Amino acid sequence: MARALIVVPPLTGHIYPALSVADVLRKSGHEVAWALQAGPQAAELPAEMPVFPLDVQTAAAPDLGPQGVRGIESVQSFYLDYAIPMARQCLDSLAAAVHEFNPDILIVDHQMLAGALIARQLDLPWVTLASSSASIQKVFPQFDSWVNAQLLALQEDVLSPERIVERPDFSPHGVIVFSVEALVGRDWPRYEATYHFVGATRGEGRRAIEFPWSWLRQDHRKVLVTLGTINHADGARFFEVVMEAVAEMPKVQAVLVAPAALAAHAPDNVRVCQQVPQLDLLKSMDAVICHAGHNTVCEALSHGLPLIVSPIRHDQPAIAKQVVTCGAGMFLRYGKATSAATRSAIERVLNDIEYRNRAREMAVAFAAAPGAAGAAAIIGNVLAAVPKGQPRAGSER
Amino acid sequence: MNSRFAEIVETLIGHIRRSVAEDWIQTYEIGPETRFSQDLEMESIEMVMLAATIQRHYGGRLAIVDWLSGRSLEDLVALSVGDLARHIDETLPSEA
Repeated sequence: MARALIVVPPLTGHIYPALSVADVLRKSGHEVAWALQAGPQAAELPAEMPVFPLDVQTAAAPDLGPQGVRGIESVQSFYLDYAIPMARQCLDSLAAAVHEFNPDILIVDHQMLAGALIARQLDLPWVTLASSSASIQKVFPQFDSWVNAQLLALQEDVLSPERIVERPDFSPHGVIVFSVEALVGRDWPRYEATYHFVGATRGEGRRAIEFPWSWLRQDHRKVLVTLGTINHADGARFFEVVMEAVAEMPKVQAVLVAPAALAAHAPDNVRVCQQVPQLDLLKSMDAVICHAGHNTVCEALSHGLPLIVSPIRHDQPAIAKQVVTCGAGMFLRYGKATSAATRSAIERVLNDIEYRNRAREMAVAFAAAPGAAGAAAIIGNVLAAVPKGQPRAGSER
Repeated sequence: MNSRFAEIVETLIGHIRRSVAEDWIQTYEIGPETRFSQDLEMESIEMVMLAATIQRHYGGRLAIVDWLSGRSLEDLVALSVGDLARHIDETLPSEA
């Protein structure tokens, strides 16, 4: 049995798919460890798997950039203020973790550039986890060349010249994409890589979260409203708009994943929760309003639920575009949403059968995809292809 | 502001309202300083579609899509209605 080291950023949306893969690998007898920045996300991982904390200096701890920043600017800020500084800061502690754990394979989130650089430096077998399908798509020439220039500068500081490639984040051994081809579509050209579309994971390894199930009414249409785990705080205006919209829809119930402060003036048919057991809850929902976060979109579509997508920043506009293009949802401009526009959008996705039909077609595609078990099988193939008796790169250091 | 520039700005505003085609945009105040990305929340793909529409409006006498793709990322982030109107004003042949 092999040792696998998972390298992820401390972000729930990236940890969840990796956690499912870890769970399957561990249950098939592999030894799995994690390398990520210390913090609440690391503390919530299952105790059976060791965590190697990555050293990110608190003074310069990268964050996701100013919350107000949107559009292309937010993607620039994502690289300049988050992904690249974190890669530089984590290199040494990740190299030490690799030396200590001595993994047979690295499993690296696409945005955890330190993992890709270490794997390339040490010639370790590795796979990429594309926890958002947006990053495999080319966007437009100026943007793509800007990103590649940032990645080149980083590589020049870390790798010997012959190891430098256009996209260091995509493993030559395979890129596991947690989506389906039917959703990702072919509107945009993709970076050259070996892609494996495994669909959404099914929540393997996630801890249980409480929910007031008895509040849900059989005779109401139910909508889940979430902006994911990192846009929570600056989403207050959007949540207020949604509450106003739903207040005048007596046959609708909405569950908002939102700051507790909003509960004080929530109408009777709105329930505000800080966290929800999302996969279980989706089974009871009729539609989802969200920021077009990759996991939420794929999970909603896996359940055949139509969406209203209000992308805020980063990869979200690209994921929203996938939803609108496949016909399973409507676009609502995040900063411009009014209660009237939101109400009419909710009525449309609940009543227009076309949205639901398209969402159900997506559910069929997701159900046919292999999920975490498929990802584990790909990792198994990469391990099997490693020549026997080859000394481990990690132990040479 | 010369009168042709002002006319171009008005033409652009009309195209923006029709292209975004959502309730709020019909009453949203748009002027030369309005930025496509920060103020109107338009994504790059929407900007390219709008540019193609405007190019058609001027009967293909302009290459706005090409002009846009020659801008740096920083320029695109900051692009305003006035910037686009100025480019059109400078490159559009005067009516005979």
